[in-house]
Amino acid sequence: MTISAFALPPYAPPLGTAAVRAEIRAFLAANPPPADPVRRANCWAVADDDYSRALGAAGFLGMLWPKRYGGHERAPMERYVVLEELLAAGAPVGAHWIADRQTGPLLLRYGTEVQRQKYLPGMAAGTIFACIGLSEPGAGSDLASLRSRAEKVDGGWCINGQKLWTSGAHRAHAMLALLRSEPGSERGAGLSQFLIDMNTPGVTVRPVVNLTGDHDFNEVFFDDVMVSDDAMVGARGNGWAQVTAELALERSGPERYLSSHALLALLIDAVGDDHRFRGPIGRLTAEMWTLRQMSMATAAKLAGGEDPSVEAAIVKDLGNDFEQRLPQLIQAALDSDLDGSGDLVRLLAHLLQVSPSFSLRGGTREILRGIIARGLGLR
Amino acid sequence: MSEMRPQLLETTTMLFAGMPDWDALVTAGFPLLLVPSAGGGFGGDWGDAFAVLRLAGAQPLAQPLGEAMVAALLLASAGVAPPAGRATIAAHAVGSIDGGRFTGSLGAVPWGQGAAAVVAMIDGGLVLLPGSDAVTPGGSPAGEARDTLAYDAAPVVPLGGGDIMQLGGFLRVALASGALDAALGLAISHCNGRIQFGKPLSKLQAVQQALAVLASEAAAVAMAGAAAARALDFGDAGFEIAAAKLRTNIAIERGVAIAHQVHGAIGFTQDYPLHPLTRRLMGWRSEFGGDAFWADRLGRMAVANGGAGLWAEMTARGDR
Repeated sequence: MTISAFALPPYAPPLGTAAVRAEIRAFLAANPPPADPVRRANCWAVADDDYSRALGAAGFLGMLWPKRYGGHERAPMERYVVLEELLAAGAPVGAHWIADRQTGPLLLRYGTEVQRQKYLPGMAAGTIFACIGLSEPGAGSDLASLRSRAEKVDGGWCINGQKLWTSGAHRAHAMLALLRSEPGSERGAGLSQFLIDMNTPGVTVRPVVNLTGDHDFNEVFFDDVMVSDDAMVGARGNGWAQVTAELALERSGPERYLSSHALLALLIDAVGDDHRFRGPIGRLTAEMWTLRQMSMATAAKLAGGEDPSVEAAIVKDLGNDFEQRLPQLIQAALDSDLDGSGDLVRLLAHLLQVSPSFSLRGGTREILRGIIARGLGLR
Repeated sequence: MSEMRPQLLETTTMLFAGMPDWDALVTAGFPLLLVPSAGGGFGGDWGDAFAVLRLAGAQPLAQPLGEAMVAALLLASAGVAPPAGRATIAAHAVGSIDGGRFTGSLGAVPWGQGAAAVVAMIDGGLVLLPGSDAVTPGGSPAGEARDTLAYDAAPVVPLGGGDIMQLGGFLRVALASGALDAALGLAISHCNGRIQFGKPLSKLQAVQQALAVLASEAAAVAMAGAAAARALDFGDAGFEIAAAKLRTNIAIERGVAIAHQVHGAIGFTQDYPLHPLTRRLMGWRSEFGGDAFWADRLGRMAVANGGAGLWAEMTARGDR
């Protein structure tokens, strides 16, 4: 009897977990998240430069990185605890999130010594922010069809093209872009990663205002942008492999199920032990408890040097489904018009509007389920 | 994890594959899995029980194994000698105890008929009752005995505190985890082998996406159950079991539907081995607390300390 396609061992906290939780809670007490609950929801998309700097100064950014790059050489699960506490509290962590989660680790893995020295200390201090240049007008879920190109010229590379849906490009100091470096190449072949300073001449950032009127993502144009040879990250032509590895590692974090947590907490404070809400709250609690176990167990597997890319896809798919249904379930139980009156109703309306993005960003639901299906041997 | 688990699972897998009868399970010592070795048992932990019952659910093994394991543990913990014969547990009791004697009935008792003893929760405490000759047979959707036992001034042995709904709920989580995995396995092999539109069903994107959801639900139950087992080993698992049983019930709703849908009419036949899994899953969803029961309990726990208190509670439990 075949049993369990994806069995994770139950999560057992390593020593020091309680200590680091006390540390980050002390920071949160001294640096309280915004009073407005709308600013506490989906808070890894809420940017506050000062808050990021404070986190950096307190040693909560670049936690796993070597000290010589400004890091703190802490354990992976310590970082996990810090992240989940920041997210559950609703701290505005959007400014540095990409640099800390993704760009920094990628530079540690593939970057040159010069690149590391130039960027990592600032990223760990919360003063250098990054964005990721992947999607393009003609390349969304079908990322391999991207067309923006880097052309080899004397003394470096000349970049032309356009990126789209680039979160935080208007705040970022650098973009890690995936570009076609080999003329005439197709699909995943012939792509390379480049680290581009956003103030390089020829880089233009234009806002794409989202449906709530907020500015988070952007379109970014490259017009004959000249970068030097040492802007390339990793091996020439190896960009696809580097990016897919990077995507797999970002999918199981606590941000994949906690985006709507502020609403659940606010609901509990508002309704207390009202029997009409007990059922929905119980149900949401059961799902959240389970997702947290799955997310932590996946993180522990990752920390142990294994590749849990299928488990990570499961966590993200279930987590996104949960954080999207949370506002729906609460709306169904709440007898109130969405008239903007009161914190609970304002937050509910906000999350109903932004939650469609939860199963789009970082890999759509359909892409994730395709990854899971591949793990099952179906494709 | 107990050191002997790998060997235990190897033995269990081989034994269960032969569809053992009750006597074979007793001979192999399975009902005493959770009883400490000092008390003559196997000395397994709750993680061992979870792993064994997952295998039982995947088979599926139509034997009252989990019920006997829990009854034996509760008796051993209370220092009460085990009965000669099979013991089971009951979720539902109606009636009262007067002068150490119970008059009333136990409802939907798993394999109640023929049990030598039943552990039930009456007036908030655990008690040991003898078997009953006044049996009204009942059955689960899968045809497993769920009998009503009547008592008239039957002697009661108090076993102290405890919660039969929690322990029974945990058993159902473990069995359902195995059954969902087995249903997924059947669905995958069916879809890989069945040709329609000139290709295996598994090459159709709609089918792939449905199976991905089934796999995710099975993974969620396995994780929630493992976390509940871990909490049981700490001796305080009220929150974890409530979460695990409710999550399992949600997964049964989603998972059974998908397993049948991808099988088409073939999975709806008596001959095909899907229904022994899915019909049990349908019954287990209601047993030892349905969705409303556990949502109400967990909802009370979730709001007990305010919005921030829920997060504090979850992390404190996880950090143990």
